[in-house]
Amino acid sequence: MIVSLALRNLKLNKFRTILSMIGIVIGVFAICAMGMVSAGFTDEMDNMITDTADTLTLSPLGEKVVGGHTAVGFSEKDVRNIESATKSVTKEYELVPYYNTYKPVTVGKDLLTASVYGLDSNDMSGLVTLVSGTWPKGGTNVIVGEQFAEDNELRLGSRISFLGVSGQEITCRVVGIMENTGLLTFGIATDSSILGTTEWYSSVVGNNYGLYDKIIIKAYDPEDLALIDEAVDKKMNGKEDKDSDNTVSILNSYELMDIFDEIMNMSSIFTTVISGISLLVAAVAITNVMLMSVKERTREVGILRSIGTYRSQILQMFLYEAGLIGLIGSVFGVALSLIVSPVFMMIMGLEFTAMFSVSVLSYIPLGIVVGLVVCLASGLYPAWKAANLNPVEAMSTD
Amino acid sequence: MDDAPVVELIDVSKVYQMKAGDVYALNHVNFSVRRGEFVAIMGPSGSGKSTLMNMIGCLDVPTSGTIKINGVSTTDMTDDELTEHRLNTIGFIFQKFNLISLLTAYENVEYPLILKYGQRDHSERVKKLLRMVGFTEDRMQHTPYELSGGQQQRVSIARALANDPTFLLCDEPTGNLDSKMSTQIMEILSDLHKQGRTLVMVTHNPETAEYADRVIIIRDGEIVGEE
Ligand SMILES: Nc1ncnc2c1ncn2[C@@H]1O[C@H](COP(=O)(O)OP(=O)(O)OP(=O)(O)O)[C@@H](O)[C@H]1O
Ligand SMILES: [Mg+2]
Repeated sequence: MIVSLALRNLKLNKFRTILSMIGIVIGVFAICAMGMVSAGFTDEMDNMITDTADTLTLSPLGEKVVGGHTAVGFSEKDVRNIESATKSVTKEYELVPYYNTYKPVTVGKDLLTASVYGLDSNDMSGLVTLVSGTWPKGGTNVIVGEQFAEDNELRLGSRISFLGVSGQEITCRVVGIMENTGLLTFGIATDSSILGTTEWYSSVVGNNYGLYDKIIIKAYDPEDLALIDEAVDKKMNGKEDKDSDNTVSILNSYELMDIFDEIMNMSSIFTTVISGISLLVAAVAITNVMLMSVKERTREVGILRSIGTYRSQILQMFLYEAGLIGLIGSVFGVALSLIVSPVFMMIMGLEFTAMFSVSVLSYIPLGIVVGLVVCLASGLYPAWKAANLNPVEAMSTD
Repeated sequence: MDDAPVVELIDVSKVYQMKAGDVYALNHVNFSVRRGEFVAIMGPSGSGKSTLMNMIGCLDVPTSGTIKINGVSTTDMTDDELTEHRLNTIGFIFQKFNLISLLTAYENVEYPLILKYGQRDHSERVKKLLRMVGFTEDRMQHTPYELSGGQQQRVSIARALANDPTFLLCDEPTGNLDSKMSTQIMEILSDLHKQGRTLVMVTHNPETAEYADRVIIIRDGEIVGEE
């Protein structure tokens, strides 16, 4: 009966109820949407940590003059120097220099542009994983990313062709399919890539005057990775280096992760503040509506009390009202965030499936609980006030 | 125990402290009601009649003195204990009917039943009570706004009887009704008295007071006479 009175009052004042609900809908939506998106991102980043966090990516800085031409890249000597710096830290490492560029490729009738990589056959297994087929050998074998294969209907044995360095058409056979790494990776992003041997790369793209485009160093201990970072930096960019210019830019996955974590923390503080403010506004609105409700129903409370309704039951009646506003409002808020967050995530480059992780979905109960608690807390004072009305005075008001 | 008065006021005073000075709404009142009695209280406006009713009805507490209900003092009772008394032993009938506007006539009568006996099917008893006060069955799902004054007062009598109270308190039950309606309502109250109910009724109207066994006159918070 107490519940039904609360319900009827809400229905009777539909417009006011809906207005007060809007605040809580927005508040809960803010928390959930921002929380879900950042949880989705953090998940994605966490995956990346486990997959590729043991990586230093070295990029060349500055131009070199090779046989009269200017070019950018790592020479064999650079590679040897970097390797010796690495060796000074640990024996357990992998160092892979490779070529990389964008290159037009003909698949069937379509001409597309793909990211192409050339690296030593022995180094391939350290950087990419095959889902089917074999590693490429020689000048006309390639492996392609799963996504690329799917997009272009390529299977093992399919043919694709390039315009080679000397102008002739080079037809290549797909001998393997690489597992997708996603776009966020510290190593080779395989999704839409074509990968072959250095021999193949030289005939298709050229060998960049013998200069590698990038070097990846993997170490299995994060501390070692930091030391290698330091050693390489010292050797290539420090005093030991003969020319004064820096020659290597080093991207340490751990440092990047730290930076990312910092950004995420900052944004979560920001999110919390924004959500906090919107919930505060909602709380004030609900307190206001509840106080109005108490004022309007003072006489009713007096009557209820006079015929034997306990204080605690009056308190309950108003808390039900606040709780109901909270429950309905937060369900709407959560529902709205379930529609909006995946859109945001996809705009920001995440897969739709990123929605279905525990940390993202846990915002559903969290949002509802927070909305409910905020509403109940807002309703507490008005409800307490109603419960403590003097029955005689309450009944004599109009 | 059975001989103890249903209601007994011993030296009861109610003082309102106002800026202009203390107002004695009740001034050392001694008064009791026996089981099965129908007592009317009369007096000019502002004499303290409603204050007295609220004291008896455990809605208000005296500044000094003792009130005993069924021989038990209410002086040291907590709010919850006073509420329990209102729920179990008292039935109120007010001048302004005081029905709950959110509830239908039926639900208004059902409400005290649910409060006292819990949520279950009370339809038999609700219908019986409404029939007893002559409330037309086809109006049961109407809200108070859709009912006439007389109809509302019938519902409120049915509601007052729902918890099977030890006594009924009626504060000017016919004050808002025309004379024809008044007579009908008084007939109902009189019938209740004949069935052995204890009633205390405030009234301005000497004709209405005729129905009572005993009339108490109150003036300026003091009982000045009895007839
Ligand atoms: N809450 C209050 N604060 C101050 N004075 C009050 C309060 N309630 C009642 N009084 C005063 O107590 C006195 C008795 O009031 P009460 O309502 O009992 O009179 P009454 O006999 O019922 O009058 P009426 O016939 O007009 O209903 C009056 O003088 C009134 O002004
Ligand atoms: Mg009065």
